[in-house]
Amino acid sequence: MAGSAKFALSESGVRWDAEPSIVVDNVDVHYRTQHHGDVGDGTGGILAAARRRFGGSSSTVKHALHQISFVGYKGDSIGIVGRNGSGKSTLMRVLAGLTLPTGGSIYAQSEPVLLGVNAALIPSLSGAQNIRLGCLAMGMSEDEVESKYDSVVEMSGLEDEINHPMKTYSAGMGARLRFAIACAVDPEILLVDEALNTGDAQFKQRSKQRMDFIREQAGTVFIVSHSLGTIKENCNRCIWLDKGDFIMDGDPEVVTKEYHNFVWRMTQGNKDYGMQIRNEIMASRPQIRTDLLESGWRSAKAARKRAAGKP
Amino acid sequence: MTVTETRPPAAEPASAPETITVPVSLKKLRRIGARPGFTDYLVQLWDRRQFIAFDAQARVQTANDKDKLGSLWLILTPLFNGLTYYFIFGMLLGTGRGIDNFVGYLVIGIFTFQFSASAILAGARSLVANESVIKAFTFPRAALPIAANLRELLSSVPSTIVMLLLVIVAAPVEEITWRWLLIIPVMLLQHLFNLGLSMLLAPFLYKVHDIGNLLSFVLRLWMYGSAVFYSFDRFNEYPPLVKILEANPLFCVIDIVRDSVLYAATPAWQSWATLAVWSLGLLAAGFFVFWRQEESYGRVS
Repeated sequence: MAGSAKFALSESGVRWDAEPSIVVDNVDVHYRTQHHGDVGDGTGGILAAARRRFGGSSSTVKHALHQISFVGYKGDSIGIVGRNGSGKSTLMRVLAGLTLPTGGSIYAQSEPVLLGVNAALIPSLSGAQNIRLGCLAMGMSEDEVESKYDSVVEMSGLEDEINHPMKTYSAGMGARLRFAIACAVDPEILLVDEALNTGDAQFKQRSKQRMDFIREQAGTVFIVSHSLGTIKENCNRCIWLDKGDFIMDGDPEVVTKEYHNFVWRMTQGNKDYGMQIRNEIMASRPQIRTDLLESGWRSAKAARKRAAGKP
Repeated sequence: MTVTETRPPAAEPASAPETITVPVSLKKLRRIGARPGFTDYLVQLWDRRQFIAFDAQARVQTANDKDKLGSLWLILTPLFNGLTYYFIFGMLLGTGRGIDNFVGYLVIGIFTFQFSASAILAGARSLVANESVIKAFTFPRAALPIAANLRELLSSVPSTIVMLLLVIVAAPVEEITWRWLLIIPVMLLQHLFNLGLSMLLAPFLYKVHDIGNLLSFVLRLWMYGSAVFYSFDRFNEYPPLVKILEANPLFCVIDIVRDSVLYAATPAWQSWATLAVWSLGLLAAGFFVFWRQEESYGRVS
């Protein structure tokens, strides 16, 4: 169904008319996992368990992200789609500097801020205390927290529950609080991991306003969501990840459609064809390399020389 | 943007994979997640001082929330500890023979050691215990062991007051001299010692959780080596052993507190010197080791 003409749409995503706010250069994240496959085998006892633990053969290297490169620009709102386990949340954590990539690096104009669904705040503290703690952790001063506090509470819409311990909150309330805290520092780069799915209509309205505000201030927003509607509504660009691979980058309508077709093929049992199309799309994407320009007069001169040398 | 004027060659047919080079100006963009220099690290840490203070304070208040008696446990725990040891070592085994005012001696030993034991344990476990916070926010991770130690310092204030009350109540009556004030500097030195040791241990404990299980045994062994419920006088025939035991920084702390509170004697300068060398040395080593490992906290592995 998808003709080769469509593949032309999976471009590099590199633009020359906008200022980059974040550059992701060939990022790899690998980790080791241990198999606990022999659960049914009760004959081994403690010694066998110890052998399993220390035996090298039982651990495998998993690629959570594999050679991811892309550039995000000021004013971009980038949606990220992919199946479960495709590396979306890992990418968010790497972008935020919370997980160090095994290889490659990330350059950004300022510290990206992420508060994802899994970012457990401290459950025994009240919502109000968590707001203070979170804001202080992100580097705000007491005075700043004091002046922002009311707007954070309003953003979260939790005026009535704010003094209750966080462990009494529902999942949606927790997500709203996290999103509100993440917005409190006026981040230039905001990473939103699934937070929008759990909110009610009023919260969706508020969060959309907030993200539009960040984009107007020449910021960049990343949105991870399984809801393709949310992506199409909020984003001007969309990235598709699958099993740690970077598949596609482009217009949300096009990418979500391609992704939707892929998922449809996979669930309809046409897996080989689905994977073939996926690999073709991936292969048609140009490679991105980065050229580091050191700050300082020497490198500026070198850059000028380089520029002059080119026709 | 990346200041350069370099433009890519005119768009080629996108179907053929090509290589695009993106200039990255380090003037405008900087690497995310990279470990700052040591001095920068200390400056960043200083900028988060309000976070550290708030974290410590909020958690002292909520630590015993689930218990019916609440914060009273800050006092009850060392009190029951003292009663247990008094029963076993004072009454059953009689290790206190020949020690003036054994109740006071024992109380000071236990309360003082307990402060270090819980602070070192909490500090060393702070990275493991706060994994959710590490995964949520970017900040110099040294804030966590510091906050944990500050929390222990705060909660040691009520238990120290209880300790002094017990010394006063327990016969024979002690006279209160200016030397009681020496508790403040000695506890601050002890706090620095705890902090240094827990910052030294925390990175290893984060990598190998099993060390945490061993630590409580090591601490118990350490307590038995710190003359909490007996006196080093029993080892007087082996002078080298006594020398080694006296170099134990926690024994120095206990000894200083006993001298100033119990025996109205000004503590020997040697004890102060030993303690100060330990505290400052470990603090420097702990900070350095912790900073070296900074990038590894929060890595998936």
